Amino acid sequence: MSPQQGEKFGSWLARQLRRAGMNQAELADELEMTRAAVSAWINDRAEPRPETQRRIAAILGTDSASIYNRTDVAPDLPLQWHHRSAYKDGGREYGNAAAFAFNADLSALAREATQNSLDERYDERKPVRVRYTLEELTGEHLDQFLAALHWDELREHYDEAALLEQKVSRSLKAALRDLDENKSLILLRVDDYNAAGLTGDEYGDGRYTAVVRRQLDSRKESGAKAGGSYGLGKVTLWATSRFNLVLINSTLSESYEGRTERRVVGRVDLPWRKVGNEAYAGPAWFGQADTEPNRQQVSRSWWADEQTVRDLHLDRLSDEPGTSFLIVGAHDASGTAESLKDMHEKLVIALAEGFWAAMVGGNDGGPLLEASVVAMRNGRVVVDEKRVDPHTSHPALSRAFKAYLDRDTVEELTTSTQVARADVTLVVPPRKSDKRKQGGGHHRAVLLVTPAGEDDDPVNQVVYMRGNRMTVMSKRPRELPLGATRFHAVLLAGYATEQTGADVELAEEFLRASEPPEHNDWKHTEELTSVYARGALSRLREFRVEIDKAVRQLVGRRTTVRGEGPAALRELLKLDVFGPAGSRSRRNVPLVEITRGDLDDTGAWNVWVDLKLPESDSTWRLTPIAKFDVRSGGRPVVAWKEIVPRDNCREEDGNLVIEAGVRLASFSGITDPSSHPVHGNLAGLIIDIQKSRGGAL
Amino acid sequence: MRPFLSYPRIPDTVELEIVSVSVDGRDLPYSQISRTEKTVALHQTGRGDWDLATLHLKAVLPDQEIADGPWSDVVCLAVLSENSTNVRSTARLAKGRDGTWQGKIELVRGRHLRRAVLSLAVVGEVNGVPGRAIGKSEAPWYLDLKESTPRRQREIKIVEADFREASEEWLRGFKDSAWVVATVEDPEIPIVYLNTSGVEGLVEVLNGTSGSAAEKVLRDTTTSQIAQDAWIAMFHTAVSNLDQDDDGTPIMPTGWQEPVLKMMLPDVLPGRQLTDALREINECRTSGAGWAELQTNIQFAAGKRSQIAKKLTGAVRTVDREERSEP
Amino acid sequence: MSELPAVDFPAVLGLLPDTAVTKHLSHAVQAGKDFFVPSALRRAVDAEFEDQPRWHVGPVRVLVDEAMDRFEGRRSKADVWLAPRLHATLRMTRAEAADSRLWNYLAMLVAPDYVVWRHRGSKSGIAKTSRFSGRHDLQAFARLWWSAELFRDGSDYRPVEPFWAYQDAVNSIMRLEIIDHRPTAAAMVRIVERLANEGVPNASDHVNGLSKAVNAAGSTLVFDVIAPDSPVDHDARLDWIAESAHAAEVPWDRLPDGPDDGAVDKRAVDVLVPMFEKLLAEAPLRVRSKKDADDDD
Repeated sequence: MSPQQGEKFGSWLARQLRRAGMNQAELADELEMTRAAVSAWINDRAEPRPETQRRIAAILGTDSASIYNRTDVAPDLPLQWHHRSAYKDGGREYGNAAAFAFNADLSALAREATQNSLDERYDERKPVRVRYTLEELTGEHLDQFLAALHWDELREHYDEAALLEQKVSRSLKAALRDLDENKSLILLRVDDYNAAGLTGDEYGDGRYTAVVRRQLDSRKESGAKAGGSYGLGKVTLWATSRFNLVLINSTLSESYEGRTERRVVGRVDLPWRKVGNEAYAGPAWFGQADTEPNRQQVSRSWWADEQTVRDLHLDRLSDEPGTSFLIVGAHDASGTAESLKDMHEKLVIALAEGFWAAMVGGNDGGPLLEASVVAMRNGRVVVDEKRVDPHTSHPALSRAFKAYLDRDTVEELTTSTQVARADVTLVVPPRKSDKRKQGGGHHRAVLLVTPAGEDDDPVNQVVYMRGNRMTVMSKRPRELPLGATRFHAVLLAGYATEQTGADVELAEEFLRASEPPEHNDWKHTEELTSVYARGALSRLREFRVEIDKAVRQLVGRRTTVRGEGPAALRELLKLDVFGPAGSRSRRNVPLVEITRGDLDDTGAWNVWVDLKLPESDSTWRLTPIAKFDVRSGGRPVVAWKEIVPRDNCREEDGNLVIEAGVRLASFSGITDPSSHPVHGNLAGLIIDIQKSRGGAL
Repeated sequence: MRPFLSYPRIPDTVELEIVSVSVDGRDLPYSQISRTEKTVALHQTGRGDWDLATLHLKAVLPDQEIADGPWSDVVCLAVLSENSTNVRSTARLAKGRDGTWQGKIELVRGRHLRRAVLSLAVVGEVNGVPGRAIGKSEAPWYLDLKESTPRRQREIKIVEADFREASEEWLRGFKDSAWVVATVEDPEIPIVYLNTSGVEGLVEVLNGTSGSAAEKVLRDTTTSQIAQDAWIAMFHTAVSNLDQDDDGTPIMPTGWQEPVLKMMLPDVLPGRQLTDALREINECRTSGAGWAELQTNIQFAAGKRSQIAKKLTGAVRTVDREERSEP
Repeated sequence: MSELPAVDFPAVLGLLPDTAVTKHLSHAVQAGKDFFVPSALRRAVDAEFEDQPRWHVGPVRVLVDEAMDRFEGRRSKADVWLAPRLHATLRMTRAEAADSRLWNYLAMLVAPDYVVWRHRGSKSGIAKTSRFSGRHDLQAFARLWWSAELFRDGSDYRPVEPFWAYQDAVNSIMRLEIIDHRPTAAAMVRIVERLANEGVPNASDHVNGLSKAVNAAGSTLVFDVIAPDSPVDHDARLDWIAESAHAAEVPWDRLPDGPDDGAVDKRAVDVLVPMFEKLLAEAPLRVRSKKDADDDD
């Protein structure tokens, strides 16, 4: 059986010796063997016998399983911040350029970070799970955290950077001041589980370097569904931190240095600054000093123990692969979410908005993504963990997507809960590089339409999706017929159709090429015209036209064309549908309201009535008339036994007289039960107010 | 006003939805069910006669409030009725697992004529009295047997016809008129007949959308005039056959008459409650006292609906401009 | 036999629009002086029915003539005899019966003499327009047909008889929407029957009080839930209509059979009767001036 990862014993041993600060001679002495023997192992000319390996393990402070698995011995080296020295050419950068490309609000963070997690899903049979944890630290909790972070080493750099007259300096200054004054810090941890984790070498190509070491590296893997994982989007992590500081703990899906758990590193992005006599440029890393000969002093990721990750608030819920990003000093740059509760809510909304489709599962295939958000203060939960449910946030669209996954769609809508499906063809033009101009193909995109609820808003939009259910845009179809069914619609193209085949890949690439950097439209781009043959733009246009047509067919009414008369005349003869003109005309008339009513022992109604009157120059003379409600037809009048004026009115011959200018009057009345057609308990009472006869108005 | 009761009603209104309709076992296209208009068009062009429509219903009740309130034995009842056939049939809805109330009710073609009305009654025992109406759906659904487009308020019909050769016998008597307004011909909706042979070319001008300034003036003023005739005629018809309460208070009619009265009464008798205004009108009409004076107000209200002043102002300005530009 | 002039009636029923009645109903017709049908009136007919036996005018005409003969001098008594027989002769669905044009046709072209005979006012000397063309509870034929339709108990027409016991109560009951619930209608008829059997004085006023009370109580009580009815079998009615092709003309001295579309639920009626009796007992009795039931002014 060959050891894991197939690393040769020699190279493993050489690294362990370096880490332990031992040389070959010292090991030979400890083992009471010759230096030649050790040298032979190091150069892979020979391997020690199992008994010797056990002894080597003991000397290095590890066990034979680690040797077998080629696990590195975790050296107990001190943690340190390594600040990159200024460029020799004297160039100065005052901020991370990429960070300016994003609005550092929490919605953007949720969108970018979660998209990365989705793109890095590890086991395709299970969803990737993301968990956002907001935590506010104060008092000793804060002190302990800052100590674990070696805040003191950083502080002087922050102080210097904050002195500069730069945009980033000003915001740093504010952040430092708030920390000093409020003695409180908000952490936001973004975890994913069942994701690849930050695999790969400390310095060479890989997920780890894409996140930790490089900028503007969109690490595109051909054929991947990703729009470029850990590309520009990762910048939002740093942009969300008021200190541009992010700590990382990753569980790897492929071991590195023989290990998978607790690969920890920190990174801060700072502008050019001078501390003491040294000038520094840009980033600094938190880790162990590298032991490699040519990288002395550089901080590298280390394999942390459990206590350390707990101290750094980086402990993970399980040993499943994935990464935790801890944003130190998290804030919402838009300023709309300041409290923990607001930030919690904003994250939930952003996750639902951006990923409802990925969170929908069918009967057979589960969702691609699960997401939840929790908020804590000093280790205590303050806003319960909230699982983002697409069926609550986007009920109609989620229903549509689920119906599609369950093959439960119909061709024609007959109920308000059904989902109609229509296929729309996208013609993918050949690439210019296709020699015989025979490339390209026909992709069958899927349009889903379902009726909207009465109060839904917005409606009548088509949500366009591709990739792993990524929303590109929402657009209203053109030329919707008047009075068409209000609807929700989704267009699935490329991988979002959940289909496989050459056409799917072609469409995916074609549509991606037609997206601007914001990925929010399918239109003319430079890439489109440089890569694809002539007519690419027309194909996109035709696609839109076909989609709109399909929508119209599914929701439109077959309006019978018949002579409806001149439009100008029709306009003047319109009847209002619901409650016509009611509210408008009611402003000028007296309003009556029964504020209290009881049936007394004699069966009479005792009622208190308010009269609201419009502005008037003349005295009101009103007759209140009591009637019993009926199921149909004429309402019987019941007689008053007495009417008592209460406020702002007087009685004259059974009428109420109210002086001009009075806006509110009230009276009480008792009905005559002998005039009741039925016991008062059995019918509703109505009071009409009439302008009385004879009296001058 | 809403009747005042001796017992409590449930606080919120209830929502009733027609989820789907099957006609003789075949599902009606959803485009013929309009949730916003709360109307179903049961007529399917190109399909023959049918016997039975099954309406699948869903209702949402404020269940928590009902549970906390003084009501018991709560029944959710769908009521399907049509006045002209004196039909009333009911069906109970049952509470489904998702908390909504569901059920179906059958509409038998032979028992309905034009438009059936579907509403929801919530019934329960209150203060020891069983079978009380304790809530209902706000606006009822309409089930239109003659329409293929679900429209709640039917538009006033405009028919272009050659009166000389009209299939409607009575129209021939008006062969020299440019238009007539018929308010009782179709009990469902008033009809404006435009005579294609009365004033040659007029109907073409009315139907045009462009043309010379003079044409536009003619179109605007004529349509206004026709509309005014129509509103006056509709108003008179609407007040001519009012049902009355015991004390002679007329009852607001249903059908097209209702919106016509509600739209015009505030201008005919400003400052009055609708019922009071209606009573006044009815008294004038039946006794004759003040009826003649009221005509002025009716004309004013109709003129306002027809935008007479606005259209005439436009016309005068146009003519004025034309004259000035004459060489 | 009546002194009215003869009517030259058509052979098959048809539909006549309301506007044609307004236009062609002359004073001479309303007064029963002349039943001449102008050709313009014939042309105004929207549609004549296809030649199915149930649309033949003959049997209706025979019935009407017999009624005028039998009840000469006591015309109000004709209603109770005619209602079930007209219903069993004119076999149709409610949708068909709700078309006012059919009733217009009967009144204007088939039997204007009956309308005048039954409804001519003793003072005015004419029959009102609403008896020719009007609401289902006023039009001369519609009121008879609909009373039979609304008060029969499945195929049993007997409950229709007490309904007609008090002429002026008929109007107050027939327009109420509450009677569209069959057990409600049946319960009210049972009470009317009791009043008639007991010979209660001022019974009409009692009936009026009852209908007013039930109509008001119906604004808060849902009788459909208190007394659920059994469903109506519309197919049975269609069978009954189809049978008319070979059914004999209705009997004169016993009641015909109506459509066997399901009896009213007896338990439901039993629940409502005591409830309505209580409403009647509590209702204020307003004695109205005695009116001649025969007078139609």
